[in-house]
Amino acid sequence: MWLTLGRRIGGLIIVMLLVATMVFFLTRLAPGDPAALMLGDQATPEDVARLRAVYGLDKPLLVQFGLWLKEVASGNLGQSIFLQRPVTQALAERAEPTFFLTLFSVSIAALIGIPAGVASAVWRGRAVDQIVSGLAMLAANVPSFWLGLILIQLFAVRLGWFPVAGYGDPGAPLADRLGHLILPASVLGLVNSALITRFTRASMLDVLNEDYVRTARSKGVSEARVVLRHAFGNALIPIITVVGLTAALLVGGAIVTETVFGLPGVGNLVVSAVLRRDYPVIQGALIVVAAVYVLINLAIDVIYTLVDPRVRT
Amino acid sequence: MTDSGSFSWAPTRRGFGAGMGALAATLLGPQIASAQGAQSANLAMVGEPQSLDPMASTADLVSIIMQHVYEPLFTFDANGAVQPMLAAEMPKIAADGKLYTIELRKGVKLHNGRDLDAEDVVASLKRWVEMTPRGKALSKSIASIAAKGPSTVEIALNDLQPALLAHLALPSGYAGIMAKESIANPLVEFVGTGPYKFRERKPDQFVVLTKFDGYVSRSEPANGYAGKKEAKIAELRFIPAPNANTRVEGVVAGQYHFADQLPVEANKKLASSSAAKAVLTMPYGFPYFPTNTKQGPMADLKVRQAFQMALDEEEILLAGFGDPKFFALAPSHFPKGSPFNSDAGAERYSKADAAGAKKLLVEAKYDGAPIRILNSKQYDFHHRMALVMAEQLKAAGFTVTLDVVDWATLVQRRGDPALWDVYITHSAFFPEPMLSPPQLGDGAPGWWKTPAKDAALAAFNGEPDPAKRGPLWAKVQQVVYDEVPYIRAGNFGSLAGVSSKMKGYTPMPFPAFWNVELN
Repeated sequence: MWLTLGRRIGGLIIVMLLVATMVFFLTRLAPGDPAALMLGDQATPEDVARLRAVYGLDKPLLVQFGLWLKEVASGNLGQSIFLQRPVTQALAERAEPTFFLTLFSVSIAALIGIPAGVASAVWRGRAVDQIVSGLAMLAANVPSFWLGLILIQLFAVRLGWFPVAGYGDPGAPLADRLGHLILPASVLGLVNSALITRFTRASMLDVLNEDYVRTARSKGVSEARVVLRHAFGNALIPIITVVGLTAALLVGGAIVTETVFGLPGVGNLVVSAVLRRDYPVIQGALIVVAAVYVLINLAIDVIYTLVDPRVRT
Repeated sequence: MTDSGSFSWAPTRRGFGAGMGALAATLLGPQIASAQGAQSANLAMVGEPQSLDPMASTADLVSIIMQHVYEPLFTFDANGAVQPMLAAEMPKIAADGKLYTIELRKGVKLHNGRDLDAEDVVASLKRWVEMTPRGKALSKSIASIAAKGPSTVEIALNDLQPALLAHLALPSGYAGIMAKESIANPLVEFVGTGPYKFRERKPDQFVVLTKFDGYVSRSEPANGYAGKKEAKIAELRFIPAPNANTRVEGVVAGQYHFADQLPVEANKKLASSSAAKAVLTMPYGFPYFPTNTKQGPMADLKVRQAFQMALDEEEILLAGFGDPKFFALAPSHFPKGSPFNSDAGAERYSKADAAGAKKLLVEAKYDGAPIRILNSKQYDFHHRMALVMAEQLKAAGFTVTLDVVDWATLVQRRGDPALWDVYITHSAFFPEPMLSPPQLGDGAPGWWKTPAKDAALAAFNGEPDPAKRGPLWAKVQQVVYDEVPYIRAGNFGSLAGVSSKMKGYTPMPFPAFWNVELN
């Protein structure tokens, strides 16, 4: 296990280097100039050139890349051109809503998706299966922005149960801030529950056909014990994978949902940065998101070894 | 209204909310209780301000927020006339028009408690000249800015600058006066004289301004940005809400007290809402289409004139803004009542004459080279106008390609004459001609420079007498219609949603919340 972990961490460093290189050069391939955007219509070419020099954008691309890599290696992701603050600070400010939105969304998705998938597999071909499969199909195909707008209209505008948007007033306590996440997390939870349902159903169906399940039933073990203990435990690996990947994707930013609900998350930060060509923010955010993505994958591998001893060998 | 801005998801209505709220109150009751009680306004804006330094950015949003913190020497009244703000009165201008002596109002307090003095003004104006595009453009004309006593400032010019006061009054790239000890690059302290002072910024969440108790107001009645200002709301929260639908729903639900720049489709919803009403600012701005006079087919004057002749501005504006309530045809670049209102060249406006345009193209020996209309979907109305424009040009015999890019790409590409022939943009409406569009100056995309332009603008900019400037502007407007460096499509309005609890809001291109109260 430790050897595997060591290999994975070594791989992580290589992946991060590749990500850094790709992010830097792909970002620069896109046309657009942050200095021109920042200075506006009235700026002269001299003003734009001066501001480009301030941010080192006038240097050759390879020199810029080298300087940036050096900074990143020392833990400095640079200074945002537009926000006029360190990228690490900008990311830290958005970490809380993104973390909790991911946590709540994945929890809702798993709480809906796993029981629904198990029920669908157990009662395969029956009314429950058909209803669950139909709803999962619907959830998978509903655009999240549309669902968001419907929930806002219903629960925020008409019923007044939740705020329309934002992440709390200045100085709002954590409970109030988290209250702002209920609607967006519900949207993401519902949409993502579809995939978890389908994976759970497929995985459970595979396991329910195994000999050891038949043996357990023939030994007179109760159906609940067969399903929950013998079958579900062995069906967990693909379910963990899909739950983990859902979490990893959400950390990168549920961009549409964040925009609809006006949440100050990482996704919003990256989209604004792309539109403004705020290179340091794009690069820094993508590096961090990639690192989190890789780490979540690493965590999934570790969890495999905990739930299934066969993986350790 | 108390705590009008504090939208707590804690429980105001119905059982579910009550249950959830009770849980929250149990966990964090004291905090929630303490957050309530202060009067606050939630103001949903179109995005996150690029900066809070009004001289570091010309973005309107920066000015909208920071005009509450910083004040200029002069400002515009509701008719677009320049009026004193921090200046005690209009300046004394020397007979040759090159020396402005400005007396400051006495007893004006800065947010740090000190009295404003001439040194603050000099330091601020020098920074404005060094940092802002408009200040830099004026820098060659400014010989000196100096304090002549504790409350007197002199600006000496090398040449006549009749638009100087308008430049100083303009909220965009703002010549706001700062405490000299707070001046730094970048600004870290925001110390002005305005009715509100800066409290807190959380990027992508809010900028909070609080009432400045030491504010010293002018005594004249409020008039546009001029006159008496009173902070009637304790706290202003500028909240970025980039999604237009979120702003609409937020103001209808009562979470926001003001929602800026709403889509025209929201008008009906606001009309049927009891919580908010629609407010239109008209004119708010004008769409315009610069032409590339330097390179490509549009470098030929006859092709540009054919372009102008082919366009039906009413159709274009209808495509852009959907409902005639939200736009106005405007052959004159300035409305009735403005000293610059003129019909000069108006006969060339919105001709929609495809046959005439075809004839001009034949005379120009136009070879069918594609006219590249550079536009961005980031501003929906730009793209919709471009689509209609393209069809009108095709009907007149032009070959057209639509180059649809994001705004950042457009801003970069418009700087290269090889990459476009026409681009779609817009400007806020300013009461002084020389403030916009930038094509009236030198070097702006389009690169318009002709003897007729230089002569008309030299005459206009060399005339200090306001009474004579109007007819001279008419000559500039005539040259614009004759040489087509850009086409000014007309005027458009901006729709905002205002809570029915908000009283005293006056629509202005840069929304201001002094003299506004919440019931």
